[in-house]
Amino acid sequence: MTQNQGEGAKVSAGKRISRGDFLKAGSAGVAGAVVLGATGCGGGGGGSGSSGGKNQFVLSFGPDDSGTLKTLVSKFNKQNKGKYKVKWRQMQADTGQYFDQLRTQFQAQSGDIDLIGGDVIWPAQFAANGWIIDLSDRFPESERKKFLDGPIQSNTYNGKIYGVPWYTDAGMLYYRKDLLQKSGFNSPPKTWDELKSMAKKVKQDSGTKFGFVFQGAQYEGGVVDGVEYIASNSGSVLAPSDSKKVTIDSANSVDGLKTEHSMVADGVSPKAVSTYTEQETQTAFLNGDAVFARNWPYMYALISGSKIKPDQVSVAPLPAGSGSGGKSVAGLGGWNFYISAFSQKQDAAYAFVKFATAPEQQKFRALKGSFLPTLKSLYKDKEIINNIPVIKLAPEALSNQVPRPISPYYSDMSLKMQEQFNASVKGATTPQKAANTLQSELKQIIKQGSGA
Amino acid sequence: MATATAGKGQSGGNTLNQVLFYVFLIGFVLVSLFPLLWVFKMSIITKTELFASPPTILPQNPTDSSYTTIFSDPSFQHALLNSTIIAGVTTVVCLFFGSIAAYAIARLRFRLKSSVMTLILAISFFPAVAIIAPLFKEFAQIGLINTYWSVIIADTVFALPLTVWLLVAFFKELPKDLEEAAKVDGATTIQAFQKVIVPLAAPGVFTTAILTFIFAWNEFLFATTFLFDDSTQPVTVVIPNFASQYVTNYGAQAGAAVVVTIPLVIMVLIFQRRIVSGLTAGAVKG
Amino acid sequence: MTTSSADKKRSRGFLKEELGNPERRTAYYMVLPSLVIILIVALIPIVSSVWLSLHQATIVQTGAFVGLQNYITVFQDSSFLSGFKNTLIFTVVSVFFEFIIGLAIALAINRAFRGRGLVRAAVLVPWAFPTVISAAMWRLMFQDQVGIINYVANTLGLINQPILSNNTLLLIAAILVDVWKTTPFMALLLLAGLQTIPGDVYEAARVDGANILQRFFQITLPLLKPTILVAVLFRTLDSYRVFDLFWVLSNRQLESLSTYVYEGVRITQLQFATGNAAAVFIFVTAFLLALFFIKVLGMQTSTEE
Repeated sequence: MTQNQGEGAKVSAGKRISRGDFLKAGSAGVAGAVVLGATGCGGGGGGSGSSGGKNQFVLSFGPDDSGTLKTLVSKFNKQNKGKYKVKWRQMQADTGQYFDQLRTQFQAQSGDIDLIGGDVIWPAQFAANGWIIDLSDRFPESERKKFLDGPIQSNTYNGKIYGVPWYTDAGMLYYRKDLLQKSGFNSPPKTWDELKSMAKKVKQDSGTKFGFVFQGAQYEGGVVDGVEYIASNSGSVLAPSDSKKVTIDSANSVDGLKTEHSMVADGVSPKAVSTYTEQETQTAFLNGDAVFARNWPYMYALISGSKIKPDQVSVAPLPAGSGSGGKSVAGLGGWNFYISAFSQKQDAAYAFVKFATAPEQQKFRALKGSFLPTLKSLYKDKEIINNIPVIKLAPEALSNQVPRPISPYYSDMSLKMQEQFNASVKGATTPQKAANTLQSELKQIIKQGSGA
Repeated sequence: MATATAGKGQSGGNTLNQVLFYVFLIGFVLVSLFPLLWVFKMSIITKTELFASPPTILPQNPTDSSYTTIFSDPSFQHALLNSTIIAGVTTVVCLFFGSIAAYAIARLRFRLKSSVMTLILAISFFPAVAIIAPLFKEFAQIGLINTYWSVIIADTVFALPLTVWLLVAFFKELPKDLEEAAKVDGATTIQAFQKVIVPLAAPGVFTTAILTFIFAWNEFLFATTFLFDDSTQPVTVVIPNFASQYVTNYGAQAGAAVVVTIPLVIMVLIFQRRIVSGLTAGAVKG
Repeated sequence: MTTSSADKKRSRGFLKEELGNPERRTAYYMVLPSLVIILIVALIPIVSSVWLSLHQATIVQTGAFVGLQNYITVFQDSSFLSGFKNTLIFTVVSVFFEFIIGLAIALAINRAFRGRGLVRAAVLVPWAFPTVISAAMWRLMFQDQVGIINYVANTLGLINQPILSNNTLLLIAAILVDVWKTTPFMALLLLAGLQTIPGDVYEAARVDGANILQRFFQITLPLLKPTILVAVLFRTLDSYRVFDLFWVLSNRQLESLSTYVYEGVRITQLQFATGNAAAVFIFVTAFLLALFFIKVLGMQTSTEE
């Protein structure tokens, strides 16, 4: 660069600077940029190319505030010095965007990424396309037994296992202990109907702005909440026994959507809940504007430092549906490890999976970053229980996890569910109509999928 | 030209006109700047205030914590440099190829002109979102993925149509006699282009340069697809990552947005002068 | 590439005439680099898109040739139709306001006054603000609990429901943000065009007694027409492909043509072919739009001398 600029300067100095030299300066810039570009290429390419170092491989994962992944990476690299080296490629924080990026790379059959730290909803689609490998041999039944059932189920497609659960997430009910007590309620609601009547009473007594906030926006999180309402009424989107059978228009499923819609219709939730993601839910609850909130465990840590105090809040499993088959469920979230089918370093990658999901590392991330472990044994660990209050407060939630539909066409289905669930929440359509529309749309997707 | 209106002062209502003019101007500037001021406010308030309901109008407890966050993040500083390189090189490459092509189209006679023009323009009709996956494949095959060049090339292709069209329009407006005179003096086509046209077209060229630079500076889709780590990622990719899965750090994002906008404002201030003085000054010098 | 294949069809005389003449030969050399870049980078993906749109295809495999079936499917898809409608409204309304306001600003700041440089720089700030960021910030301003705009609009009684939950309000919000963001672009282009109009033309008109309106309609507008058409065409084509503004502002909720394409080719498993068909549809309709500008509105193309 310097050399080229020098040349450019010489030209201008010699001739009295005129705008005519603009182009010359321009071409010097181009030449300079070649040098710069080459450096960028060398730096980036050399580091990330998995074909580079011997047994160096790339792990993809989003940003990590807690800093725990960084610790894990350097610990692994130290332990395996000379043998394996993992490099973490930071992807977009937005899960949807991260998915889109991965998809583009897989489509190009790129072997750049060896190991994926990925969302629980991805494995079926990745597996059906042959983008991630079957881990059944590496991760045998005897090992799987040690993990929570929900996450294992979400990694299983066509009877084979494609991912190893890393950490998990479960929908929970946050409630204002103080306000409930003030209105004479000593325990959290057991059913959605109870929740509604409690919310109304507390709103009256304490003047709280909103009764209940949850994620009703048209996005992936809206699907989780919708599925929770449906499953709590013992309904389902796809038949549990046959993932090719659509059951969203069954009476139980429709009841679930009706319950969700009634939150807005009965004035328990604000109209704007149809635009709420986790962020807005958290804003409302932490501002002290809501009696109840449905959110993931992460919100508990944010209570200190907000307008409400930890002793004003408690956590419970989500309420059950009011019908006969009503049960408390928790939408399953969380992240797993998948190994790319295009990777040349699959063994090295699996070594990291084993390392990161071992009790010691899971415990470390649970204590440092409040990530919920996926190993059953860790839920008996005193230190962890004391450190993550939600485990103590709502242990049932983690044994009642319900996954979203498991289908190679999940992303197609999700788009439709996002649209219809949201329309039903905001009253643009009735729950029954939304269910009927979805029934035919999902059927069409399955038909098209098996035809193609 | 219009300069005369304000300069000469011909009527009694002039003072009133002046006042109205400035009121209009100030109102307009405020509307343009309000969102930026609001974003600036977002960047200096605490998280609690950021999510206060109803929102506060003036900051209650100014804090620099957002700026501490972004400047203690090495990937952000890297991103500033990356953005500058990507946008700068894209601008230079675009103007280089664009002005050459535009000159030929504006000034020279050849038969396939309209086909060439149509082809260049046609590219800007295609939705960028649709070509990303095949483009990724193409770039991966020649090893461009995760280099500046992947984004520079893609940005150039999508900025080139506008560059060429603008420059053609500007070049055509220029008086022909100067160039003819240069040719009579024995200058070649290329020399005539360099010595006469380019300086004369300076206002247009600088306008085009600014627009191209900002286009490349703001580009997100290509950058997020083709670039993998903070050695190459620009600010548009890094800023949204002041977030975790469920929580967005709006304060840090706002601060980062302010930081990346300021250099552009400064650049525009500098280049504006060129645009203003451009035409007349260029003609006199040439 | 194309030049040579096009040449083959014509007679040798044409080749000789075009390349034998030094000026013309230079002209071809000068346009060649731009063409080569564009062809290499964009043509292959575009051709593959057209091809895929005519086949049964998922992201991993391409099946049988199905003719225009994908296009028919697209036109029966309500998401596509609402995306099409939103895009049309968005394009027409936002470009209209951008042009009117942009022209007013360009005329206003095309003169000497104190603080001119600052005003010009300030005007460009919205345009310089990265869309992915500004859209997220605007979303926060529109948000129902903490959003200043939602708060003000509610207090004034302008709206009685949350902006972000209603697709019509969202579309209006998107138009507002786009007008805020791209009016400066328009103004700058028009300003540059205004400055190519020689001052003596105005002097002459003033001597002839033309008033300010006459001068505007008889001198400024006609002389500015080429710039106006270029600016409006490019803004129109840009708005027509709107993607990141809708995507971020509405949190993937508001559909446009481009978001429909994105969903098809980058998210779903099964809408891959229809996504490509929609992409080709955008391409073709945009092309027709440009033809309209050139043929009907008389936009200057390069061919005239």
